[in-house]
Amino acid sequence: MGKRKVGALEKVEADLPNLQHKIRRDPVSYKDDFASQYHQYESHREIFMRAPGSATDAGLISLRELIDFVAHVADCYPEITKSFPEDLMNLITLHHTDLEPELREKIVGSLVLLRKKDVIDSSALLQTLFPLLTTTPSKSLRALLFQKILSDLRSSNAKTKNHRLNRTIQTVLFNLVVSDRTSSKGLWAVKLTRELWKRQIWTDSKTVEIMKEASLSDNEKVILGGVRFFLGGDKEREELAEEESDDEPDIDMGKLRHQAGINKKTRKQSKSLEKAAATVKRRERKKNQPHPLNFSALHLLHDPQGFAETLFQKHLQNTKSKLNLEQKLLVLQLVSRLVGLHRLTVISLYSYFLKYLTPRQPSVTSFLASLAQSTHSLVPPDVLEPLIQKIANEFVSEAAAAEVASAGLNAIREICVRQPLAMNETLLQDLVMYKSSKDKGVMMAAKGLLSLYREVGADLLRKKDRGKAATMELKLGERKQRRFGEEDIGGIEGLELLEAYKEEERKRKREAKGLPADAGADGEGNGDGDEEEEEDEDEDDWGAWNIEDEEDSDDSGGWINVESDGEIDISDSDSDRETKPSAAKKAKLDKKANPAARDVDVDGAAAEEEEENADAEAEAEAARQRVLNLATTRILTPADLAKLQELRTQASVSKLLPETQRRLHAAAKIQAAAAASHNRHVDDPLTAAEIEGLAMLSHKQDKESRDAAVKAAKGERNEHKSSAALRKEKLRSQGKSTTNKEKARKKNFLMTLGKARFKQKRSLVETQKVLKGHVERSKRGGRRGNNG
Amino acid sequence: MGSSAKKKKEKKQDFQKAKLKVGKTKPKASNFTDTSFSSKAIVVNQQSLAANAPTQAALFNHHLSLLTHRSDTQRRESLSFLTTALSTRPVHTPPPQPFGVILPKLFPLVLDGSGGVRQQLLKLVKCLSGDEVDDHVDEILLYIRAGMTHLAPDIRSSSLDLLEWLLDVSGLEVVSCAGGWVKTLQCFLALLGWRVETGTASKWTSTSTSLAGTAKPTFGKAGSDGKYLVKKLHALALFLRTGLLPPTEDGLIGKQDIITFPLWQTEQHLLPKRSACFAHLNLFGAPRDEESEMYEDREDRQGIFAEKFQPTIERGLDNARKEGGEVGRAAASVRKAVSEGMEGYSREF
Repeated sequence: MGKRKVGALEKVEADLPNLQHKIRRDPVSYKDDFASQYHQYESHREIFMRAPGSATDAGLISLRELIDFVAHVADCYPEITKSFPEDLMNLITLHHTDLEPELREKIVGSLVLLRKKDVIDSSALLQTLFPLLTTTPSKSLRALLFQKILSDLRSSNAKTKNHRLNRTIQTVLFNLVVSDRTSSKGLWAVKLTRELWKRQIWTDSKTVEIMKEASLSDNEKVILGGVRFFLGGDKEREELAEEESDDEPDIDMGKLRHQAGINKKTRKQSKSLEKAAATVKRRERKKNQPHPLNFSALHLLHDPQGFAETLFQKHLQNTKSKLNLEQKLLVLQLVSRLVGLHRLTVISLYSYFLKYLTPRQPSVTSFLASLAQSTHSLVPPDVLEPLIQKIANEFVSEAAAAEVASAGLNAIREICVRQPLAMNETLLQDLVMYKSSKDKGVMMAAKGLLSLYREVGADLLRKKDRGKAATMELKLGERKQRRFGEEDIGGIEGLELLEAYKEEERKRKREAKGLPADAGADGEGNGDGDEEEEEDEDEDDWGAWNIEDEEDSDDSGGWINVESDGEIDISDSDSDRETKPSAAKKAKLDKKANPAARDVDVDGAAAEEEEENADAEAEAEAARQRVLNLATTRILTPADLAKLQELRTQASVSKLLPETQRRLHAAAKIQAAAAASHNRHVDDPLTAAEIEGLAMLSHKQDKESRDAAVKAAKGERNEHKSSAALRKEKLRSQGKSTTNKEKARKKNFLMTLGKARFKQKRSLVETQKVLKGHVERSKRGGRRGNNG
Repeated sequence: MGSSAKKKKEKKQDFQKAKLKVGKTKPKASNFTDTSFSSKAIVVNQQSLAANAPTQAALFNHHLSLLTHRSDTQRRESLSFLTTALSTRPVHTPPPQPFGVILPKLFPLVLDGSGGVRQQLLKLVKCLSGDEVDDHVDEILLYIRAGMTHLAPDIRSSSLDLLEWLLDVSGLEVVSCAGGWVKTLQCFLALLGWRVETGTASKWTSTSTSLAGTAKPTFGKAGSDGKYLVKKLHALALFLRTGLLPPTEDGLIGKQDIITFPLWQTEQHLLPKRSACFAHLNLFGAPRDEESEMYEDREDRQGIFAEKFQPTIERGLDNARKEGGEVGRAAASVRKAVSEGMEGYSREF
């Protein structure tokens, strides 16, 4: 049945929107009209149900319009429209395949509208829409449904998390993935979950469980969806959060207030000012809110060992697996990240790598990166040794190309960073010889390996390669190689920095009070004085519990500070003591102002300290004890933690200073090495790009890439112009005008003529006056004067 | 200055009359657009290659398909063609298409926007007989009900005409088909603006209900309301009479019994002559609720009527009778139909 054109006059009589508008304003008086329209809807629905397939353009009003009308005013007449939502649900569930597209979309839209008006609840809506999403053959309907489902989930989680709804939907999705592992329907679950994860609506382990099941399914698309989620879902989430916080434009309240003072005072203006103030306040509050603690998906997994093993066996070891190389690489990346992050033991994984470690293998750098990533300190070295041997044999030889060699060396280094025991002496010495390679990439990779082993296993190197510091330490017996499975004693990273800082502060305060800086020099006599002072300081600390609101702090009433006495007599002679003690607060400010200087300062002090002390070992022991003390006897306030973070970043900056400055202190160097290894977060993946590393230095650039680089450096300068012209153009584009000088230069010649002519006819007196005036003006500094 | 002289000349040119010369073509206007185009072939969109005129049957089919044409004149003309074709066909000759095909195409026109089409439709259906329509009663009733609650008053009124015709032709079918009794009665109530009172909540609005039907402003175009109300009441009276009065017995039954004397109640044992004779069992459809149930007996109809509609209708009739005049008379006729129909009905518990 073709669509009939409706004349204007016909429309006037059958004006549903008009009726809708009137009902909205006064539902009681139009009840009869609505009732009759509802009858109309019902009879149209019956007509439709007789032949759902055929088009339903019956006369003036179609079923679609009636549905739209009833949905819009359904909340006004709850008794009359009791069965309406159910009817719609039945209609679309049973006939979604043969409804005409417009009507179908209208029904979906009406259901969502009813949900917005709270006529039906979210779970009813989602339970209707979700089965459709997986069954309908229409692409446009799927897109619509996906969008509607997502927006409904978002809106119902907008104010507070709707845990019940989330749980039901998660269960539905989980069942969808688990029930039929071979079908691609699970893809919808994956898509939905990923989207909700990205928007931080779902952040719990159940979500991760869905994805875990997805990555263990039998359908490639679903597998890839799940695997990609684990590899990139968290990064996506972070990026979105950053984007959201970035895209709010800054509001300058001062400027707005100023403008409101000057501009015409209208109600609109004052309202907009209030609005801006509210926004600023809200943002401020939002900023001060504690950061939502979101664990990454990899950390929320219940059984990482089981997951990694199953993934490996099902998709990689299994010869019947249908995944292609690219997909396998993704799975391998996930497995290796799991192994590296959770320190899992999947021994057969390493022998699996052996087959792929040849330069001819496509995307071998990804394999190398995965191998390095799956290495951790609990992997038996004898499992890794053949792998390293193979890499060395296949990649690192004189015959191999430079990029190949550098990639191999980089890979070996990355493996050895994680498990230094996997290297043997002869191989290492062999590899280190490449440091004199002509190729820059190879040379740098070899040097990287060398510097690594100077730190972690200097005795494997030849004597001449060890370097001064390592040799000295070896000689003194300070350096001990870590044995397999040995762990660091747990501590808080950078705690010794905080301790040093506190010490410094304490000294400064004592100086400010006029006491000798060194508590130990006072002797036992005024021990209680010290105690008292300690308490004072502590109270200060508790006072500064929070970083932001320092003023509204109350002191911690009945808390007793239990400090060990040993903490007081630690620091001894301090040669370059500050001569001019100022107020403590000022000093604090100064510290913040030039951290770098202070850092060097501290280092220098410590170095001298070491020289002076005969029993260095005892001192070190004491220091360790001290650090432990700090961790065990005090609660670190948020202010402390913030300071700690600051100190850590300073330390990592100082490690970038030239070697000569750093060599002053051995501890600083160890620290620097630690910082370098911690530079990259543990959660961050190792990529193939890092393995390829400096390989691009190995070969010369071709002309195109060189041109591209030049063009990039040049910026947007696309035509030949003088730099002055460019500058002027830039100023003009910023809305800035020309200078007076320029204006004078551009002035029309005819306009200047009169003045020039007059100049010639001046009398001497006049000329004198003018000249005097000129001198006067120049003294004053221009016509308007420059002294105001 | 040279340029200004040039401009002057240009300006002048605008107002100068172009000189026409004999034997030369007229100069083109400045805003002339060339609309000519070249084509490799000439395509004739519709061409009839038939040498002889189309048969009556083909014409009939053609006009049947034109019932959904977008122009209302065309629709009306096609309808009138069909009317003549159906009415002038020889007795006992079937139409070119079976009624099962024709009728479903006619029904949607009940809701047609143009008055002329609906008039013509009424003319067409009037030349159909009862046994031709019987099988499609429930279908056309759907459209009629939709028409009765339509926003446009004209459509409402013409659907009442159709209902009257349908009651004339096959009244018993109308009141006993699925949903035919309760739903149509509901439509009547909505049409008359008589509200079914539910509980005590609407006590305050009862005054406004009493005025309903005449004085209450309703949405849509106000037609000739008084006359229209009379028409509604007449239709209602007819409907109630058909549904509530006992079916008129033809004297034939006795005769038949005499003819087939040794056999008793042969009718019941013969194969049924109408289609879907077990429709009341509803074997294949969705389960029916109270509204869409079939009420085949007079007693059933009386029961549901007494339970749901009688109080409302009587209250409405009281108000209508107070108006007097033609409306009052029509109301009295409805009241008569109700009282006659409910004769002998006793509420059973």
